[in-house]
Amino acid sequence: MTEPAISPSTHDALDGLRRALNAALRGKPDVTERVIACLLARGHLLLEDKPGLGKTTLAKALATAVGGGFARVQCTPDLLPGDITGFGVFNQKSREFEFLPGPVFADVLLADEINRTTPRTQSALLEAMAERQVTVDNTRHKLSDTFFVIATQNPVEHHGTYPLPEAQLDRFAMKLSIGYPDKPHELQMLAAAVGAADGRDATPVQGMMGRTLAMLQDKVAAVAVAPAVQGYMIDLAHRTRAHPKVPLGLSPRGLLTWQRVSQAWAFLHGRPFVTPDDVKAVAPPVLGVRLGGTAEAVVPELLASVPVPVYPH
Amino acid sequence: MAPDTNRPARIATFLLAFVAYATSEVAAHSTGVPGLFGIAFGVGLFTAAGLLSAFGPKPTAKSTATLPRRVQLLLALAFALPLAAEPLLRSLTADGSPLEMQLIFGLRALGVLLAGLGAWAKCRRLAAVIALFLALFASAMGDQPAVPYLLVALAVCGGVWLVFENRDRAGATAASGELVGRVPLRMPYRELAVFGVLAACAAVVAVAGPKRVLFTLGELMPTSGGSGDVDPFARSGVGDGPEEVAGDNARAAGMVESDRLIEDTKDALVDVVSDMFGPPHKPPKKQERMVAGGLADVIQNHGKLPDNRRPSRDFDTHRQGPKGNRTPGSQAARGLFEVSGRTPLHVRAVAYERYAYPAVARPDEWLAAVGGGFAELRVGGSMVWQQSRDPVSLGVEPHPDGNEWMRSSRLDPAAAWYADDDRHQFKIAADRLNLLPTPELLARFRIQRVDKPDYYRWENDGVLTLAGRTRVPPGIVVNTECRTLFPDRLPAHALAHGSGRAAFTELPDELAERIAALAAAWTAGVPRGWPQLDAVVRALRTGYEFDPDARPPADHPHPVLWFLFESRRGPAYLFATAAALLLRKLDYPTRVCLGYYAAPKRYDPETDHTPVRAGDLHLWPEVLLRDGHWLVLEPTPGYAVLPPLRPWRERVADAVDALAEWAKRNALALGGIALGVAALQWQRRRVSDAVATTRHHLFPGGTWRERIVRAAKLLERRGRLAGSPRRPEQSLTAWADELSARRPADPSLSALARLTEWAVYAPALLPPPVPEAEVRSLCARAARAWPLTAFVRPPTGAPA
Repeated sequence: MTEPAISPSTHDALDGLRRALNAALRGKPDVTERVIACLLARGHLLLEDKPGLGKTTLAKALATAVGGGFARVQCTPDLLPGDITGFGVFNQKSREFEFLPGPVFADVLLADEINRTTPRTQSALLEAMAERQVTVDNTRHKLSDTFFVIATQNPVEHHGTYPLPEAQLDRFAMKLSIGYPDKPHELQMLAAAVGAADGRDATPVQGMMGRTLAMLQDKVAAVAVAPAVQGYMIDLAHRTRAHPKVPLGLSPRGLLTWQRVSQAWAFLHGRPFVTPDDVKAVAPPVLGVRLGGTAEAVVPELLASVPVPVYPH
Repeated sequence: MAPDTNRPARIATFLLAFVAYATSEVAAHSTGVPGLFGIAFGVGLFTAAGLLSAFGPKPTAKSTATLPRRVQLLLALAFALPLAAEPLLRSLTADGSPLEMQLIFGLRALGVLLAGLGAWAKCRRLAAVIALFLALFASAMGDQPAVPYLLVALAVCGGVWLVFENRDRAGATAASGELVGRVPLRMPYRELAVFGVLAACAAVVAVAGPKRVLFTLGELMPTSGGSGDVDPFARSGVGDGPEEVAGDNARAAGMVESDRLIEDTKDALVDVVSDMFGPPHKPPKKQERMVAGGLADVIQNHGKLPDNRRPSRDFDTHRQGPKGNRTPGSQAARGLFEVSGRTPLHVRAVAYERYAYPAVARPDEWLAAVGGGFAELRVGGSMVWQQSRDPVSLGVEPHPDGNEWMRSSRLDPAAAWYADDDRHQFKIAADRLNLLPTPELLARFRIQRVDKPDYYRWENDGVLTLAGRTRVPPGIVVNTECRTLFPDRLPAHALAHGSGRAAFTELPDELAERIAALAAAWTAGVPRGWPQLDAVVRALRTGYEFDPDARPPADHPHPVLWFLFESRRGPAYLFATAAALLLRKLDYPTRVCLGYYAAPKRYDPETDHTPVRAGDLHLWPEVLLRDGHWLVLEPTPGYAVLPPLRPWRERVADAVDALAEWAKRNALALGGIALGVAALQWQRRRVSDAVATTRHHLFPGGTWRERIVRAAKLLERRGRLAGSPRRPEQSLTAWADELSARRPADPSLSALARLTEWAVYAPALLPPPVPEAEVRSLCARAARAWPLTAFVRPPTGAPA
């Protein structure tokens, strides 16, 4: 067993990441914490919220903070798969086709309003998100180790949209909503905007550059999960499958993702093991992306229906 | 709310439990008629099960795994109730059940309540298993006519149960997958229809088809005995009640009264000899031929000639006996006769009317006397009582069972003080009995083929013998029906007066004065009739001590006076004599009877019979009634008269009265216990917590993990006792944080909860987050800082 030691430098790096995100997105520390958990769990994030609430800001701040490349794709119905993955161009000098990488080769990819593009283009993201690679012209191209997709979608405008299929939704680790900030934080936001130039990005976090993020992700993967906690998760997964209001229960892939996000949550709280409270804390965003529209009502009911393993048997 | 998909399975389980209950109830009674107690118990049980089904706990998503603890306790109580109630029932109603029947009763009570908890699949299945076991019990133990039909009903219910249960399981399987909403669950009408057609076909073939099919099915019943029509090895009489024989087991199968015995060609004696000494020696024919072939053949084949084949050899003419213990097991009867039916019973052997001489008697002397068939009771060479002879005529009357029964001429069916007929069977086991045992107040009797009044003779009034025989052959079964009597309903005019019956009222002059004074003292102010009889009997039973070995002085002129006025203790003979003399003085025609007493304590639940041994001789007085019957009185402490079979309502009332009387006698102790229980109930939380805390102090745990977990369990228990329990879906940390919010100054509970997370979820090799000494002190601090009162929820609106 590898014990994930949360060294001071790691602690500082995580705090820096938190500060950077909280500075970009004011008054939403719980959202930024979950975003960090999703990042450390090597998952992908689906942000579903109204326009102008800071989805893009958050994505850009995250890309800047982790010090990687950032790319943004504005999904429209005429967007083609090649616009995302890249395509080959004939180089007349070398008389060869050269591959022009698409935006998926960035470290953080923001797919804005992903439900506005066609299913064909949406599915082009599937391989990239799941396998962390793309295949163009029969050639496999590996993506960044820290490849992270933040997709957004607008829940109020459904005209002319293509809802994401379940198979693709399952590729996202969690779904988050940002929500409106409260009054004090809006005041702070307005005050900070006076005299500030537009387009200023967050400051890169020291210690998060290079291989640091990958190392943190490895440490998260090593966080211990007791069999009792795994049994608790399985019980919850079985309940989602038997629940009459849930059309499609949690898949084994979803269960694996849930465990990884729980590990990240425990890691963020400085624990080398996962507790049932970690599982419960990340259950709403993780199950929210998988259980359909009734998740908001069903998840509390599910969590209340399974006894927590408190003592060893 | 999820649809109620398992309702048909629950109803089928209920039905199955009901039929199983009825089957076992019928099989449990030899008459095949369910007892009132069983019916009342069943009504209560099924009502409780119905209430449990309607209002009891249901399996929720939180608690599918186990039944709630209070329900488990209820089930355990239901199982133990018949066993616990048995001593009380026996003491209050003079009726009872053998141990195996108590277990069966407990099991079926458990099955019925499990059927009431049919919302749990495991309860339904367990109830079905119990129903199956009850069916096995009924088929093995019950030979009542209704049992096969009930078993068929049980099989049908079982089939329906299987259909619905499988449907329910299929539904649960589908629901656990991801197919909900896509595979509609339907009622299995088609399967039910197929099952119904098959069952109907089987019923038609069995009932309306060739009779042989029904017989064949009948042969399969292990206790049916079989007719032999289909299965040649099925023999009548196996385990049948009336087919008894002398032996140490009253249920031993002989065929004394059966035609099969006469037709059976098997030689049982040969079998016994063969078992003991091996089969008779028969030389093989081949060997004989070889010897006859000549010496040359033998030498050619075997070389040396064996000893046993040599000419002029010596033959062993003795059979080789079995090795080891050659003493066969005792086949002797364990008593003179066996009684099937209610006890106690007084079986008269000799009735005496003239009190001739005082003497002392011991049971072994009486035994010698009875064996001699005498007319006078002589003890130590002195005559005590002289025998009375008063023949009663016998008639023959048809009985509802289709046979001819001998009817005693003395019977007043209209008398209100007689209870219904009580049936007994007396099975003669020994070959030295010279009377046909009959109970008191005999109404009618029957011996199977001895159906002429001329075959019987009254030795005395109430003492029946076989005419022309000095011994009653063993194996005979005497069926009797006798009346019992409600003494408190007996009017004074029902008792005879002494006038004209001098033999039954005479009293020696030298005794008359003192006996009269004593009788007058005991019955002062008591009206004539049963109250006077009861006063005398009660005075003897309560004021005198039964001592079989007590002996009056040899030179005492009147042992009865010695008994009544000096020693106040003596054998049954003196109790009977004293009562008889006292009652004679009160002008009641009285006699003394010598006979056998069938004691309830000798009842053998294994054979369902009460053996009566030669040593069960007893003496008792009897008072003449106007209708000619003799009323048995029992002045000897420890003996009792057969009580009437009273209605259930009266028996319950008696039981309640007896219970109230007992409670009154032990009021002080009961009050103390009640106070103790009330105090315990009032302070149950503190007591429980004190016990748990003491246990925690004694066994705090060996490792740091055990120590933390036990401390956390202790505190959680306190929370539960104080009304702030942790919800099942709540983690210990969340619960502790919630409670700590009430007492922000003391974070030890939350700290302990977080330590518990380390102890439970962290990998085994991970050390504690704090030094072990600190772990110990934190556990102790939390246990001290969070006593029971700290968990009490503050009233609404009170400051935290």
